[in-house]
Amino acid sequence: MAHIPDGVLSAPVLITGAIASAGLLTLALRRLDYDHLPAAAALSAAFFVSSLISVPVGPSSVHLLLNGLMGLLLGWTALPALFVALVLQAVFFGYGGFAVLGVNTLNMALPALLCALALRPVLRRERQRSAARPVFRIGAAAGAAGVLLTALMLALSLGLSGQAFIPAAQVLVVTYVPLALVEALITGTVLSFLQRVEPGLLPGAE
Amino acid sequence: MAPRRIPSYRVPILVLVLVLILLGLGLSPPAQAHKLRVFAAAEGPLITGSAYFAGGGAAGGARIRVLDAQGRTLAEPTPDAAGRFSYRAKAAADLLILAETGDGHRAEWPIPASDLSGSFPTGGAGTPAQPAAAPTAPAAAPPTPAPTGADPLLTTAIEGAVARQIRPLREELQSFQDQARLRDILGGLGYIFGLMGLALWWRSRRTAARP
Repeated sequence: MAHIPDGVLSAPVLITGAIASAGLLTLALRRLDYDHLPAAAALSAAFFVSSLISVPVGPSSVHLLLNGLMGLLLGWTALPALFVALVLQAVFFGYGGFAVLGVNTLNMALPALLCALALRPVLRRERQRSAARPVFRIGAAAGAAGVLLTALMLALSLGLSGQAFIPAAQVLVVTYVPLALVEALITGTVLSFLQRVEPGLLPGAE
Repeated sequence: MAPRRIPSYRVPILVLVLVLILLGLGLSPPAQAHKLRVFAAAEGPLITGSAYFAGGGAAGGARIRVLDAQGRTLAEPTPDAAGRFSYRAKAAADLLILAETGDGHRAEWPIPASDLSGSFPTGGAGTPAQPAAAPTAPAAAPPTPAPTGADPLLTTAIEGAVARQIRPLREELQSFQDQARLRDILGGLGYIFGLMGLALWWRSRRTAARP
C-alpha cells in the first residue's frame, strides 16, 4: 500500500524522505513542461480518484498506482502531479499523513522518474520506427516497473524504520505482484490506445 | 507569444472521461476508501471489536495488539476471518487497540478506563493502576464514583445496557466517517485543475510581459 500513515516510520527515514522529495520536486519544477500541464492535471486527477477503488488482496488491500503511466507520459512533470494528488488525498481522504508525505511522495515518484528516464527514450525510438506492437509492451513494462519499484521502496522504508522486514516484504510480494500484472495490462492498453487516437501526447511526437 | 507546439487538449479530455468513469465505479455508493480501521467497544470487561479496510472488506490477517497507557503489550488476540477479535480486560485502565497488517497499514482505537470501570470495583484508592488520563480520551470522565445511595449493581447493569444500546450507533457513525464523500472528491479535483489553471496563467503572463 502506497500511503503509509503517520506513526509507522522512524524519524531518520521521514527526514531523508522529505529532503529527497523536496530536492526532486525543485528539480522537476525547474524543468516543468507547460505544454504538458493539462495532461499532467488530468493524470493527477486520475491518480487522485483511482485510490478510492481498492481491492482486498491477501491480508491487505491495494489500488491502482498509475505511477508508471504518469512517468512515461509526463517525464519530470509527473513529480509535481503525484505530489499534488498525494497532498489532496491526505487532506480529503485521510490517506497517509503530513509527516510521511515526503516518504510517500518519494516512494511513488522515484519509480515514475526511473520509468521516465529508462523507457521514454525507448518509446521515442520505437515510435519513430512506427511500430504499434512495442508500444503496448513498453507501456506494460512501465506499469509493472512502477508498481514493483514502489513495493521495493515501501519495503525499504518499513525495513529501515525497524519494522519486521521479512513479514512486510512477504505481504508486499503477495499483494503487489498481482497488482503489477493488472497495472501492466492497463498501462499497455492506455498507451496503445493513445498511440491510435492521439499520438501527439506520447514522447517522440516532435 | 507563439507557442512552439500547439498542445493537444483532446487527450486531457479523454483522460477526464476516464476519471469520470473511475468516479462512477468508485462512487457506486457508498464510495470506497482504502484505509485500515479498527473498532472496539467494551461491554462489561469484555472488549470486542473488528479490523477492516474501510470499504474494502475484513482485515482477517491483521495483527491486533492491546496496549496499556505505558505502551506495553497486554495481549495479542488473533482475529478471525471476518477480522473480529475479543479481549477480556483485567482492570479498569486506559487501553489502546492497535491493528497492523505488516505492510505499513496501521490503525488504533482507544478504550478509556471509564468504559471499563463499571465492571470493576472502583474502591477509591484501591486502584493504583489507574494512570493519568491519556490525552486520547479527553472526554473520558474519571471512573464514575457511584453516587452515594445508588446500588452499584444497578449502576453496572445500567452502564452495560447503555453500552450495548449505543454500540450499533457508534459502529454506524464510524462507517459513515469512512465514506469518501462526493464533495471531498470534487473538491480535490477542483484543486488539481485550479492549480493547473494557476500555473498556465502565470506562464502566459510571463510570456506576454516579454516583448
